[in-house]
Formats: sequence, structure tokens, C-alpha cells
Amino acid sequence: MTSGVSRRALFSGLGALGIGGLVAADASASALTAENATQIVPFRADRQAGIVTPQQDRLTFAAFDVVTKDRGELVSLLKTWTTAAESMTKGDLVPGGEADLQAPPADTGEADGLKPGNLTVTVGFGPSLFDDRFGLTAKKPAALAPLPKLVPEQLDPAYTGGDLCVQACADDPQVTFHAVRNLARLGTGIVVLRWMQLGFGRTASTSSAQATPRNLMGFKDGTRNLRAEQTDLIDQNVWIGAETDQPWLRGGSYLVARRIRMFIENWDRDYLADQQNVFGRYKASGAPLGGAEEFDTPNLGSTDIPDDAHIRLASPEHNGGARLLRRGYSFTDGIDSTGNLLGGLFFIAFMKDPQQFVTVQKALAGDALNEYIQHIGSGLFACPPGVTDGQHWGQGMFT
Amino acid sequence: MRTTIGLTAIAAAATLALTACGGSSASGNAPSNAPAGQGGDVTVTLTADGCQPSPASISSGAVNFKVSNKDAGAVSEAELLSGGQMLGEQENLTPGLDGGFSLELAKGDYQIYCPGAKQEKFDFHVTGDAAKSWKDNPTLVTATTDYGKWIVDQVNQLVTGTQAFADAVKAGDIDKAGVAYGQARVFYEKVEPVAEIWGDLDLNIDGRIDDFDNPADFKGFHKIEQAIFETKKLDGMGPVADELVKNVTSLQQLVAKAAYQPAEIANGATELVDEIQKTKVTGEEERYSHIDLVDFKANLDGSMEAFDVLLPALQKSAPDVAKTVQGRNAAVEAALKPYEQSPGYLNTGYVDYSTVTKDQQKVLSQAVNALGEAMSQVAAKVTQ
Repeated sequence: MTSGVSRRALFSGLGALGIGGLVAADASASALTAENATQIVPFRADRQAGIVTPQQDRLTFAAFDVVTKDRGELVSLLKTWTTAAESMTKGDLVPGGEADLQAPPADTGEADGLKPGNLTVTVGFGPSLFDDRFGLTAKKPAALAPLPKLVPEQLDPAYTGGDLCVQACADDPQVTFHAVRNLARLGTGIVVLRWMQLGFGRTASTSSAQATPRNLMGFKDGTRNLRAEQTDLIDQNVWIGAETDQPWLRGGSYLVARRIRMFIENWDRDYLADQQNVFGRYKASGAPLGGAEEFDTPNLGSTDIPDDAHIRLASPEHNGGARLLRRGYSFTDGIDSTGNLLGGLFFIAFMKDPQQFVTVQKALAGDALNEYIQHIGSGLFACPPGVTDGQHWGQGMFT
Repeated sequence: MRTTIGLTAIAAAATLALTACGGSSASGNAPSNAPAGQGGDVTVTLTADGCQPSPASISSGAVNFKVSNKDAGAVSEAELLSGGQMLGEQENLTPGLDGGFSLELAKGDYQIYCPGAKQEKFDFHVTGDAAKSWKDNPTLVTATTDYGKWIVDQVNQLVTGTQAFADAVKAGDIDKAGVAYGQARVFYEKVEPVAEIWGDLDLNIDGRIDDFDNPADFKGFHKIEQAIFETKKLDGMGPVADELVKNVTSLQQLVAKAAYQPAEIANGATELVDEIQKTKVTGEEERYSHIDLVDFKANLDGSMEAFDVLLPALQKSAPDVAKTVQGRNAAVEAALKPYEQSPGYLNTGYVDYSTVTKDQQKVLSQAVNALGEAMSQVAAKVTQ
């Protein structure tokens, strides 16, 4: 297979585009059906995809440590990653030479034939990248400070931190895994995987067109989440603007990841009224307590919603207006050493300033939900702006 | 990775290696083994009946396939096949559209395939010089000869070392046997992919208890390792040691007559790195003696010897690949350095591997992984 060969023989309109530079440009245009078009999220844009993109169903998230001491190698990897990610988001193979029976294929192959699945690949830089290894100390945004100790957390170092992160989201789990696996492979010798998380189902909606999914506690999650269509609120809360001390980061966003374990067995034996009081919502309808419909504005002045209810403490009204664009996923990693289910919410949120998360999480110190959850992993990353033609991830940071 | 004694078939097929079709910009690589020749244009018209190429035979070189569909509703693509493998294609040509693709083609028999047509496959021939062989490259010929000599030398030392080991075992000198064990094994671990060529020889010399369906059949180095380091009794080990000597002597006779192809040597180098990652870093192989770092270094040395004999050719065909391998090897050596000790555990020059923590093993593994990935790129660069 050549670098440009489409992995979707069935959707050959895009296949012709993938082969690249062929005489058949007109053929590709005519065959580009609406269905195919909706499977591809544009990679090149002012802002990175995978943030306000309508949230896909599946996730593979990886945090990497950089092991090279050579700044040039790191830059070169970010270029390679940009090219590979662009290709994969189109549903094409990882580029890299011709088929050769004596060489391992450039692409690992497991997404060959799958639809692009709205794959987005989003990259972020952790605080540790800005130490003295790569001459980036002067490029460190002041806001990118390690998160303070937050209740209820007991962080496992094996699931915390990282110099770089890659968030791959798509509607097909194999497409997301393929993306991270191939980026990791391209990075051998330069980066190593520090930790990795699969998410099997979205627990938020980032577009008004999407229905609200349920988390593993059985409650609708993200009813009051920011939506892509709320462009003013998104600008106020999600995209980094002129306020940053680092011009290269404008148009980017901070990503906070929290691996949140749910004590599932305990939760499952809590009585319904208490479950509803913990969240402040009715389990079946998702309506706020005292309300009738899911999207009714919670009446926080009412005693229907207990003082320690999750939706009260997490609300913008309770947090000086602080809001997050949540983009989390349910996860399970089987069972723990005691035989209990090990799973919960892999929380991801994007924001203009990590303090937004800190504010909300501090308010959640008294959350009734804390009896049933624990934060066991954490990451904070500055996601740079998008890449336009000819650019690569992090280019602004290295110039 | 499977070891094969002769890679002739693979080497021949690899000469089909093609350049990117249709000028894909992402691929800047020159064709690694483009045949010399004129090539030319080939017209393929998709019809309901088929996709007869015109001309049906062309000389080797750059070939441009111009594909068009006049009025075939049920046929919309043409593929170039070789031995069932697709080398290039133009898809999605509905009636009235045209397109195409370009490839570097070597002498051989191909087919044009148009699914949905009345006749779906049409023969297409490329004439001209046969593809170049590594045998035409004196640097590679020297490499294979040098490697063969090195293997013979290592296996000679393996036989000497194994004999000394067997003598100690049979004399019932458990301390001496414990030291002689590692001193013999180092030569085996350097040449292991070669030993794996011959049937059960590797199993009988180097098999682990889990490799034998019946534990009573367990034999070879690791059977005696278990006796020395776990049961700490050499009872009954005399015949096992004798059989081991017999088997390494068989290996000695076999390697004396063996010849190797460059790609085989390169794949063996990758295989040795894989060995480190799978069975040394994990502590699996030397589970009783914990001399895993001896094997680790021996696998690494064997891998780098194979690389070094290929290096003069590789410097010409792919200096960037050579440089990456060298850098990654240096990183592995550096990662191994903290565990060197003099005279070391059992005089091995290294520490007892059971003292290396899981976190430390992870660091070793990551360095080895990076070397393996780089080494896997060598074989394709030394085929001609």
C-alpha cells in the first residue's frame, strides 16, 4: 500500500482523493456522498479538532514522556505526528514509503477498511515539557502550573502527568486505538507511553444536536455542559485568548483529565431517593429535582436540591460563573485486586484557564457524590491552536 | 518473527517494490530498487466485458496506467495485481470519468483486475532485465561471508564453553558449573536466530520447562540451570549435559555449511532485539539463575554484529537508518551501564537481575523497543 492509498475501498470517492494528485479529481467530487463527508472532521483549522467537535462515542487517550534530549528530534516528531494524524483523520493509512516485503508496513493496518469515524487527534503539552530540556522554559504559560491537591483524590503516579498528551476520539474504538498506537510507534526513541486510557462511551454532549448520554451511575451526564453552538460562552470559557502570557497558545485550550473511579458496587446498593439527592436530578428523566424536563434550569433556590447535591456545587451559579467544556468518557479496566469493578469516568474538560477546573473541583470538596468516587489519575495539558496548511503541532512554541 | 533458512522467494518478490502511485506528496522516498528500463504508458479501458490493457506487455521501468470508463455501469475500478497482491489502483471511475496511477515495475507477470466485469482479470507482462540481486553487490556479498565466519567462530566458542560447563556438571562441582553456565550461554545468545533455523535444535538446547508438553522431556541449558540454581542438586544431570554438548556440536556442523542472505541477517538482528524485550527484560529466560543481563548483552552484541557486517552497504543505501540504529544502540548500552559490576554476580560482569526493579526494567525495555523499531528498517535497505 502506498502512503496515500485510502483505507476505505468502499468509499472510493475519498479514496481517489487519498491517492492524491490523480486525474480523477472530478470523479472524487462527484462521488463524495454526504454520508462520507460527515465521517471526516477537518484536520487543518485555526483551532484543534476534538474540542468543540460534536463528541464522538469512543476515546483512546495517551500521555507520553519525552525521552530524547534533542530538541530537533522532538520538533521532527511533532511534524511526523501532524502528517500522520492528518492522514488518519481522512481515513488514510499512515504515510511512509512503499510496500516492501522486507520492511514492516508503515501503517499497522488495523484500521484499513474502516470508515474515518470522525476521528480527531488532539495534542497537548504538559507542565513538565517546559523544564530545561528543550529550551522551552520561557515559553511556559503561567497558567500551566501543576494542579493543587484536590478532594477527593488519591492519585496513582502511573496514571498522572506526562510531557505530552494525545486525545484520539472517533465513533469506532479501533480507529482511536489505531491512531494512538501508530503515533506511539512513530515516536519510539523520542517518546515513551506514560499512561493510556480507553473510553468506551461518551458521557457528555458538546453539541445541541446530541442527546445527553448516561454515565456509569445511570444518570444523564452533561445536561448543562457548554455546547459548540454557544459560541459566546465557548469564547469566554474554552478558547485561550489575548489574556495568556504566551502568544503561541492563543486559540488553544487547557485540557484537564481526571481518571475518576466509581465505587460501583456501593453505588448500586444506594436507594433511589438518595441516588437522586446525590446528583440533584431524577434518575429516569434527568430533570433537576423539583423540575419536570431534563433541560429545565435547576431551581437552586429551592430545597428540592440538597445543599450537597452534585449539580448544585458544580453549577456556574455556585462557582462565580466558572464553566467547563466537558468531554469525558466511561471506562472500565476490569476488576481490582479485591474483585470489585474498576471503572468510572475518565473526565476530560477543556477550558480557558485551569483555575476554572480548580474552582469547581474545590467547590466539589463537599459533594455528596464523593462517597462514591475517587480521582485516581490526573493530567493537565496546554493544547496549542490548530494547524493550518504547512504548519505542524507546536510550531509556534518552537519559534 | 519466523526464521527461514533461505529467503530467495522473499527477496525476489521484494523486487516488485513500487513507488507511490499518482504522485502522492507525502511519500518522498525514491524507489529502493527501481528496475532500469523504459516503462511507458498503458491504456486500460473499463467496459462491461473487462479491462484489457494496451499494450499487454511493456518494458520494465516507470509505467503509467491511464484508466478510463466509457460506459461500464457495473465496473468502476482497475487494480494492478502481482501474485494476488494489489500494487496500485484507480477506484471510483463511473462512466465518463478517467484517472490513472503510476508505478515502478520490474520484470514479471502481473494482472489487471476490474471487479464486476464479465472477465475480471487480464494478464499484463513486464519484460526486460531481471531485478537486481544482492549478489551483484560486492559489499553485501562480503557482508554475508563475514557474517558466516563470525557465526562459525561464535559457535566454536559455544562448543568449547559448553564442554567446560558439562565437565563441571559431571564433576559435581556446582559452584564451578554455575559460573561456567553463563560463560557458555553468552555464545548461544549471540547466534540464536541462526540456531532457530534447524527444527528442534533450539528447543533442545535452549527450551524452557513450559516449552515441553511433558515436563519430563525438559532438557538443555535451562534444565541444568534449574538443577544448579533451584534444586541445587546435580543428580542425574550428566546425561543431560552430554546431550547438550551433542546438540551444540550438531549446530557447529550445520553452521559450517550455512550461507545467509543480507535481509536474513538483518531480520535476525531485529529478532535478537525482540528476544531481549520478550524474554530478557522480563526475567523469563534465566528464571533460576537470574543471569538475564548476560543474555541481554549477548543478544545485543549478536544483533549489532549482524548490523555491523551490513553497515558498509547500509551506509550507501540508507545512512539515516544506520545512524538511527547506532544512536538507539548507544542508548541501550547507556541504559545497561548502571548494572555493570566487576567481577559481578557469578563473574558475569553484571548484577543479579532479580535485584533490578520493575521500574528499572521498564526503562531498559523502552530503550530496547526503540532499537528494535529502528533495526526493523534495515532489511529492506540491504536487498540489492
